[in-house]
Amino acid sequence: MTAATMAGNRPQRPSRTKRNLALLGVGLIVAAAVATVDVDPAEILELPAGVALLFREMFLDPGPDWSYLPTAMEGMLESIQIAWVGTVIGAILSLPLGFFGAKNVSSPLVSNVVRQFLNVIRAFPEIILAITIMIPIAGLTPVAGALALGIHSIGTLGKLTAEVVEGIDPGPVEAARAAGGRPLQIQRWGILPQVLPEIVAFWLYRFEINIRASAILGAVGAGGIGFSLQQTIVFHRYELAGTAIIVVVVATIAVDTVSGWVRRRIIEGADARARPGDVEALGSPLREDTAIG
Amino acid sequence: MTTAAVQPRRPAKPRPSLVVPIGIVAFLAITWASLSEQFGIAFDLGKILEDITAGGEILISDRDSAAQYGLLVPNWAFLPQTVEPMIETFQMAVLAATIGCAVALPVAFVVSRVTTPNSPTFVLGRSVLSVVRAIPDILYALMFVASVSIGPLAGIAALVLFNIGVVAKLLSETVDGVDQGPIEAARAGGSNRPQTVRWAVLPQVLPNYVAYALYTFELNIRAATVIGIVGAGGIGYLLRGQYQFFNWSNVSVIIIVLFVCVFFIEMISIWLRRRLV
Amino acid sequence: MIRFEDASVTYPGGVHALNKLSLEIPDGQMVVIVGLSGAGKSTLIRAINGLVPLTEGDVTIDGVSVGSANPRKLREIRSRIGMIFQTFNLVKRTTVLNNVLMGRLHSTGTLRSLVGWYRPADVEIAMKALERVDIVEKAHVRASNLSGGQQQRVGIARALAQEPKILLADEPVASLDPPTSHVVMRDLQRINRELGITTIVNLHFLDLAKVYGERIIGLRSGELVYDGTAAAADENVFRDIYGRSLTADDVMGEASAAAATL
Repeated sequence: MTAATMAGNRPQRPSRTKRNLALLGVGLIVAAAVATVDVDPAEILELPAGVALLFREMFLDPGPDWSYLPTAMEGMLESIQIAWVGTVIGAILSLPLGFFGAKNVSSPLVSNVVRQFLNVIRAFPEIILAITIMIPIAGLTPVAGALALGIHSIGTLGKLTAEVVEGIDPGPVEAARAAGGRPLQIQRWGILPQVLPEIVAFWLYRFEINIRASAILGAVGAGGIGFSLQQTIVFHRYELAGTAIIVVVVATIAVDTVSGWVRRRIIEGADARARPGDVEALGSPLREDTAIG
Repeated sequence: MTTAAVQPRRPAKPRPSLVVPIGIVAFLAITWASLSEQFGIAFDLGKILEDITAGGEILISDRDSAAQYGLLVPNWAFLPQTVEPMIETFQMAVLAATIGCAVALPVAFVVSRVTTPNSPTFVLGRSVLSVVRAIPDILYALMFVASVSIGPLAGIAALVLFNIGVVAKLLSETVDGVDQGPIEAARAGGSNRPQTVRWAVLPQVLPNYVAYALYTFELNIRAATVIGIVGAGGIGYLLRGQYQFFNWSNVSVIIIVLFVCVFFIEMISIWLRRRLV
Repeated sequence: MIRFEDASVTYPGGVHALNKLSLEIPDGQMVVIVGLSGAGKSTLIRAINGLVPLTEGDVTIDGVSVGSANPRKLREIRSRIGMIFQTFNLVKRTTVLNNVLMGRLHSTGTLRSLVGWYRPADVEIAMKALERVDIVEKAHVRASNLSGGQQQRVGIARALAQEPKILLADEPVASLDPPTSHVVMRDLQRINRELGITTIVNLHFLDLAKVYGERIIGLRSGELVYDGTAAAADENVFRDIYGRSLTADDVMGEASAAAATL
């Protein structure tokens, strides 16, 4: 062919020093952590055996004590309720805050202040909120847990809501303004319909996370199944713990499944209304013949 | 007459869907039940407000001191004692993220329908992952503390399982969405499944994988703190020691140290993510 | 030699993608397949390397049956068949060279391939393949940074790196503009003549088919309706294959930029 096909024209491999340095850096950090962490290597070897023993006592011999089931289920119900109330508080209060925090709805100054405020709240892990503020104030009660979850949720949901509102299609807003709508009306009819499905999906996802958070709070005393778990394990009543764990797993999976289903329906419904004729948009089925193997 | 066309019959208003009203009713019912005293958590707004005003005092006072110390006035003399536990938290986060993400990679391929055809392996993998994810990290921590001892080992082990749950799920969803063209090309050339995954799928998800790994590390710092409270090492353990004895000014220092560290790590993580992607 | 014996592919729902097709393709021939979308072109090509399994009948390559090959044998068969695609199917995030090396995966052990430790001989084959399609200078460039025509050439190089006996091309130029399409088709023709590789190409532009096809096969509703030379394939023949009058969409033409849509 042409002279360009002679072997002498092959390009050099590009140097990848920057990437290699970065990898080396990460490797060093990991190595340092391994070297300095206060872990006895002998204990690592004991770990599998220790866990196996625990497992055996919890699930096989003597196995879960089913008489504990009512207590465990009550605790789980309480945890779910704590998570629910916390999520509701978070959802209700985050909605207006989200709008205030959106640059395209409120002024740049206000939105900035609100976003910073939300960042500060977000940075408080629920547990810190719980043990430092709620429990001293409201005592070792489920309400304390709900408040802690609620306040943290305001932070996360507020940020997500603001981001969704900032990402809208400005068309309907412009139309509403051109028709002479007042700000609140514009928000209700021009913005809200666009963002509501996504926001509700966030609320549901937050609820799923809060269920786990609620169990954690329980372990430090705020009621619910976390409390049962902590008590039964610390006092070596493993047969009761086994029951409690089964309840937690089943309930969490159940809530996740239902919540996930509702979330998908909401998002799909929104897509279908937006593009009525476009069935493809609802998700392409995986072609069987391109699966590997 | 005119040549105007006859108007079509006006359509009847469609019957409103029952979904939204039912949803709202369900929501209200559940919320009311959860707030009530008999069925729920006994949420009493009046009492809460009362408590807040009364409780404000607690935060300002401190167990040992008669003066105005407390949550709002940090005891800086306590700062040096936070260094070692904070480093331990950091170590736990790093090690757990490394191990967890490494294990999560193959797991993600097993639980994605794109890389594992519908088979018992796939179903088993999905079920196991669901269970692993359904167990809150604090439960893992409790179990590991009970089976080995207090300290970072239990914490690392707990976080590893937590990480696998998070990263495997996220990554498998990314894998589900890859461009399947290269996969078809690899199959057409006679590659076997591991080769196809390595060369047609992995390059597509690698940037996401790195982002998830960094995200996991951030999560771990916070999670390590929490599980430390039940004995799994790090600054959480220190925190519990202090708040159990109502040493609010020490607690305050710990919280500040935590915030500063988390803030820095987030900054670095954002910077790193920009560089690597 | 590739042989189809009463090959049928029927999808659930009763659609016959291929209907009792019988065909023989001797080694080294350049065959162009034309027909409407849905006529079975894609299915026919994918039946040769088993990407689409037959519901009836068989397809054999040099006497070896593709339909009854176990997975291992099937991979071996596929390793000697190169395939290029309408959408190129390159791994966008990695380099051209890594893409072409995928053609050497079958002959590389699994462990080695996981780590990316290809033998120097394999790298040499990949480089030579890139040289043959005149794109070796882009070897370390990310695939997504190339134009459509360049990406397709990389696709051809990947197929060539397998050192195949058969080359399958599924609408290789449908996503390219007219000048680039001619470049790619000329490359395929040159490869067919210089290396003696049996080449089977699906095209939906009839003028391209006539120029580059040694033998033209027309499919309609999964059945063979024409099998002859390009010279003998005139407008009437094409009208027969398509079952309707020809339109401007069926011809690429030099001047018609509209014809070069996806």
